[in-house]
Amino acid sequence: MLTFIVRRILYSIPVLIFSTFLSFVFVSLAGNPVALLNGNPRIPKNTIHLIEVQNHLNRSIPVRYVFWVRDLFTHKLGNSLLTFQPIWPDITRTLGHTAQVIIISETLAIVLGIVIGILSAIRQYSVFDYISTSFSFLGFAMPTFWLALLLQILFVDIYLKWNVRIFYTSGLNSPGQGTWSLDRLQHIALPVMTLCIISFAVYSRYMRASMLDVINIDYVRTARAKGLSDWHVIMRHVFRNALIPIVTVAALNIGGLLGGVIITETVFSLDGIGFYFLQKLQNGDLYAVMAYLVVTAVIIIVFNLIADILYGYLDPRIRYD
Amino acid sequence: MPEPLLSIKNLAVEFKTDDGIVQAVDDISYDVFPGETVGIVGESGSGKSVSTLSILGLIPQPPGRIVSGEAVFKGRDLLKLKKKELQRLRGDEVAMVFQDPMTSLNPVLRVGNQVGEAIKAHYPKESDDKVKERVIELLRLVGVPNPDVRYTQYPHEFSGGMRQRAMIAMAIANSPSLLIADEPTTALDVTIQAQVLEVLKTVQEETDAATILITHDLGIVAELCERVLVMYAGKIVEQGDVHTIFQNPRHPYTIGLMDSLPKLTEDEDWLRPIPGQPPSLINRPSGCAFHPRCFLSQGRLPCHTEVPPLRSTDVGEGHLSACHFAEELVGRRSKFAQPVGAS
Repeated sequence: MLTFIVRRILYSIPVLIFSTFLSFVFVSLAGNPVALLNGNPRIPKNTIHLIEVQNHLNRSIPVRYVFWVRDLFTHKLGNSLLTFQPIWPDITRTLGHTAQVIIISETLAIVLGIVIGILSAIRQYSVFDYISTSFSFLGFAMPTFWLALLLQILFVDIYLKWNVRIFYTSGLNSPGQGTWSLDRLQHIALPVMTLCIISFAVYSRYMRASMLDVINIDYVRTARAKGLSDWHVIMRHVFRNALIPIVTVAALNIGGLLGGVIITETVFSLDGIGFYFLQKLQNGDLYAVMAYLVVTAVIIIVFNLIADILYGYLDPRIRYD
Repeated sequence: MPEPLLSIKNLAVEFKTDDGIVQAVDDISYDVFPGETVGIVGESGSGKSVSTLSILGLIPQPPGRIVSGEAVFKGRDLLKLKKKELQRLRGDEVAMVFQDPMTSLNPVLRVGNQVGEAIKAHYPKESDDKVKERVIELLRLVGVPNPDVRYTQYPHEFSGGMRQRAMIAMAIANSPSLLIADEPTTALDVTIQAQVLEVLKTVQEETDAATILITHDLGIVAELCERVLVMYAGKIVEQGDVHTIFQNPRHPYTIGLMDSLPKLTEDEDWLRPIPGQPPSLINRPSGCAFHPRCFLSQGRLPCHTEVPPLRSTDVGEGHLSACHFAEELVGRRSKFAQPVGAS
């Protein structure tokens, strides 16, 4: 197992190099980082030139990439080209906020999705199945931003008429409140709900389909023929086999979300990594954007690895020796 | 006559499909006596498996539905039992061995645990050590080498034949009085087939369980069975003891089945299949379902107007045939008239 993990990490190095190089080229070509400074008449041309030289912006893109890689390791992702502030503290702060939201929403979505998926599979074509299926399709079909706005109206706007505050529509905290407070929960409840509904739709659909795939396989009939109770058959023989595809979906989904809750965080003005990325992209802050991309890539690679490890744990036919 | 262990009367099972209602089993009756081995023979889709799966509540319902009939096992009608009662019976008094050992074992659980589960399901108070001991003993009985090691392995570490042995061990774990083997050797290659059949035979002698052997392989029937039911399109078309059926078949379908087997001792240039296709069970042919393929019918009226009843024939007591013209087959000997493998 250890050799497998080490090998996988080694494999991911060329993947990272290739993906960061490509994004570096594209982001660099997309705009001049000092364009904003150039447009400001109060900044002398000499200063701008100095910035360019300091940051190697006058060099070719592959060379700049190498300098960027050096900064990545020696200066923890380097400094912003616009504010000259170090990027690392921003990334850890925003990623922490995003992680809090994602972990809560994904835990809820996985638990709910699996339970509802199982129930609607064993009661296929029942009223319950139809209701949960419709709800899942609704979750699939709704655009994130629209769902987010809808939730804001439903849980905030309506009650403000009577001066009742249930949840907040933006931000992370009221002044003077901490990370683990009821106030924080009131702030992140709506983004959590948004992400949860969308992920729940995915998980419950996959779980239902996966259960139905397994439920008609011969070994389930064998289990019944042995005289096991329905509950036993479902939990021991169907559930565990049905879980295998869900692991992949969940791991990829969580990895993807950690790097990509851009829309949700923007709608709720949540100081997360997606919102951070969007702002930096609009400003053309090359290094900040690159920092975001590297972090996202690493997270996705890590979650892929987790999926593979869980796979081996759930299915004895897969062994990594 | 002793009391039958299992007595099926007028069982009819249908499946609802998008194309219409499939009459998988159409009004069949038969008895199984303690300790005997009954073979059910027929083509794919003739209702062999469904006729046994349905009485144990193992067909998916819906789309399946038991339309009518009764299945009395040890004085109780299985079709009227509550779900829980049937569950208690399955794997304890009535056990099954399934066709495909590759898919009939759960790939993510250890073989030993899967066999042990059959015991635990019925005797939950049994200690784990005792169960394990018994499982290892069972694995040894069915001829799995190194049962202590094999106990902890997963199905993918077993070969096909070994898996089927494990399936048999699972089935006999609680010494059932009725063992239903649904094409136990179909998915195995020939040498392994022989070994598995040997195991089945041993197991039968050991447990004295009555066995229903579902197969389309007449060789296996000749080898293991005492009585045979031949099924076609959901109906029993001929039944009798194994010697009579092989020596004096009284149904053209049975003769067709036997003739379609190549015989190694004769110099044959051609296989002799039964012409035509098995009938659609949604639109059964009128009258005798076999008449479109029958060499004996020759367009005679009763064959496609009247459903032939299962009736006794000239051959003797207990030999039944569902052919209007069974008597015309007197003297018609199949290739198997000389007992081949029927010993």
